[in-house]
Amino acid sequence: MSTEQITTKSVSTNNTSIKHISVKRYLPDSSAEAYWQQYEMPVDDSTSLLDALNHIKEQLDSTLSYRWSCRMAICGSCGVMVNGIPKLGCKTFLRDYEGEIRIEPLSHFPVQRDLVVDMEIFLEHLAAVKPYLIDDNPVKPYDPKAPETYQQTPEQLARYKQFANCINCGLCYSACPQFGLNPEFLGPAALTLAHRYNLDSRDHGKKQRMTELNRHEGVWSCTFVGFCSQVCPKHVDPAAAVNQGKVEAAKHTLIALFKG
Amino acid sequence: MHKSSSQRLPPLKRNWWLKHRFFKLYMLREATVLPLVFFTLCLLAGMVALLQGADSWQGWIAFMGSPIVLLLNLLALAASLFHAATFFVLFPRVMPLRIAGHSLPDKAIVAGQWAGVVAVALLFFWLLGRA
Repeated sequence: MSTEQITTKSVSTNNTSIKHISVKRYLPDSSAEAYWQQYEMPVDDSTSLLDALNHIKEQLDSTLSYRWSCRMAICGSCGVMVNGIPKLGCKTFLRDYEGEIRIEPLSHFPVQRDLVVDMEIFLEHLAAVKPYLIDDNPVKPYDPKAPETYQQTPEQLARYKQFANCINCGLCYSACPQFGLNPEFLGPAALTLAHRYNLDSRDHGKKQRMTELNRHEGVWSCTFVGFCSQVCPKHVDPAAAVNQGKVEAAKHTLIALFKG
Repeated sequence: MHKSSSQRLPPLKRNWWLKHRFFKLYMLREATVLPLVFFTLCLLAGMVALLQGADSWQGWIAFMGSPIVLLLNLLALAASLFHAATFFVLFPRVMPLRIAGHSLPDKAIVAGQWAGVVAVALLFFWLLGRA
């Protein structure tokens, strides 16, 4: 007994304990109503929320549904609400939580099953702002035998780099009350990516994007609540990008006014 | 694909901002406009009183000196300073300033704005002191 204890202690350098996780379940095949289900599990200092969900799925309840892939905050799949705050499961550690931990699907998106939400509307908004390089008049026509790469200085890269770190996890949409109030609002990530390409020296698509941005449902629906930037797991600061977009949209309107 | 092919949820309830501390703070920031509305109405009433004549003007002076009005206007001052504090911090994020290819540090922009507030305040104290 005593040897076993010593072995366990020497193996586990972390603080192990038992924690309770409540998950909001929604199984449309069996019930139209969502309900809370509590799970109990051993955790240590290294247990992420995603580890805990995997533990539930593998050891306790195989009916639980949730999305995940990379487990290192780059795929953006495992977003959930943790005690009401949007978080990535893989970047959230249970050691930081005392008492009950409540896990819900991301807010402001229709729930398909358990923690799986329908993100279609976000993808539509994303597609609407054309988040890719648009270059209608390349300097030289493309020659497959001698392809030329775009040239960009580190200073030109620095202008948009922060906004290029978005992983499309959708946490900012769950944090944004304006998107919750009006799902037609293009939302933080889409507007940020539009701004990211507008700032890119290789891009010439600003004019095309401006018509989408400079609408009520574009940048002007944002009231700078700023919670999107608080929850962003990649420190993109979408609130800054959206509001820089307002400055650009205002300039665009003024210029259009003078041009007639 | 049709633009609105995806599902839509019903909009949030009016009390959405009560759910989180961050949202309450945001609503507090937005609510600073209410005491400021009172202050601007006071100023407007003062202009009307000035047009109506001396009696009316004296009445307005007395009104502005009453404890409750003073208290509300002190609240308006505090509210506008709080709003300024939140706004000044947001400014460098919305309009990052670049001078000769170098971006200005956020702290410098915030300090510059407060310096502006102090300068305007001093100017007004000087003007009022002369009158």
